[in-house]
Amino acid sequence: MTLPPPREVLAGDKVLRINWLPGSDRLRGRCHCGAEAEGEDPIEMWEWLLAHPNHPEGGPDVPPVPDVLPPPPAHRVTDPSIIRSRIPVLV
Amino acid sequence: MTSIVQNQWYVAAYGREIGRELFSRTICGESILFWRTEAGEVTAMSDRCVHRRFPLSQAPSHLDGDTVVCGYHGFTYGADGKCVAVPGQTRVPRTARLKSYPVVEQDTLVWIFIGDADKADATRIPRAPWLDQEGWTTVSGMEPLAARASLLVDNLMDLSHETYLHGGYIGTPEVAETPITTEVDEEAGIVYVSRHMADAECPPFYAKSTGIEGRITRWQDIEFAPPCLYKLHSRVAPVGVLPNEDGTDPHAFHVEVNYAITPETENSTHDFWMVSRDFALDDEAVTDFLRESNRTVVLQDVTALDVLEQVIAGEPDGYQELSINIDTGALAARRIIARLAAEASGAAAEQAAATAR
Ligand code: FES
Ligand SMILES: [Fe+2]
Ligand SMILES: [Zn+2]
Repeated sequence: MTLPPPREVLAGDKVLRINWLPGSDRLRGRCHCGAEAEGEDPIEMWEWLLAHPNHPEGGPDVPPVPDVLPPPPAHRVTDPSIIRSRIPVLV
Repeated sequence: MTSIVQNQWYVAAYGREIGRELFSRTICGESILFWRTEAGEVTAMSDRCVHRRFPLSQAPSHLDGDTVVCGYHGFTYGADGKCVAVPGQTRVPRTARLKSYPVVEQDTLVWIFIGDADKADATRIPRAPWLDQEGWTTVSGMEPLAARASLLVDNLMDLSHETYLHGGYIGTPEVAETPITTEVDEEAGIVYVSRHMADAECPPFYAKSTGIEGRITRWQDIEFAPPCLYKLHSRVAPVGVLPNEDGTDPHAFHVEVNYAITPETENSTHDFWMVSRDFALDDEAVTDFLRESNRTVVLQDVTALDVLEQVIAGEPDGYQELSINIDTGALAARRIIARLAAEASGAAAEQAAATAR
């Protein structure tokens, strides 16, 4: 079953669009000025679109991922009353 | 810094909640008294008497025609919030007046403007006509949420969570698996997220209400007008059944799932929910089923978000989240809300500067 082409619903003059390309993890962004780019990260993609009219060459940045990741941080909690009162409803 | 966006219209209540009894609700951190005049107009003013702050919603405070009489010492206020009588003297102090709020009743909802009343433009209120239209039947309710409004925005803008949090009700595997398209109208301030599933399992919510057996074509089209009104245009049909070329769609079932996201305080929210359908209009069993199922689903979200609020309130600021493709719509909504907040605080700063001059 193939999907229909990306829908364009909003009709305004200043519409920004991000289509998640079916069958992939990629996003395609398109500005109302016609500029288009592909990327993998929605935050970077919004930034690229919002840079209008100066969309950076080469598309959105790829968030840097170092070869060796630092160990993940602990989840720090600060409010003692919350720590004591928290009931694990969802576990 | 407040996270509540000022200079906006918010849903304060369903019209049916407000009558000739005094009704109080906290909206955006402001305690507000609502009542209907004898002519049937909804009116809204501060729920604190200017004299000694007794709540005007608290018995023995009461309505007397189109005035409210404070139950403590008898200060009496008109529908515009102005004090018209005080006990024992004829002169009413000029400062004896309550803040009164612009109110519009529309589509069965009572909208209130929070912020600078001069900026209240009723034409900016988003519409949900099916709530009050021939050919639709609606069930609705409101659940108190002990979590900030932004958590409900995140929740509703990413329906992939249906698969996990609402499995067995509205979630099926296809919801989380199907890519979305996201549009933002920068000028109108609208976020539109659409997820069209061509061939999906039919969750009980739709199987039992529509009577469809077997797989479905399921469309979810979210239209969010930040900060308050969220509309999910839901279309369900047997697999492969599409709308006609001319836009008519007689063989599909349409459900409008609407939410009004109204901050109560910084950390609590009124979660108004409405489910309107264009089929089985008079079938009480369907009405009861949809009311019960949707309420169950809303409470699943409420439980989860109440816990999440506790976690967020109890951790240091600046905790790093991680966003992926499913979050594209929620990120857009957050950005528009941040922009509205900045505009409103810019306007407030300007006004303060003007008064200081
Ligand atoms: S998967 Fe979203 S919070 Fe865990
Ligand atoms: Fe949910
Ligand atoms: Zn552009």
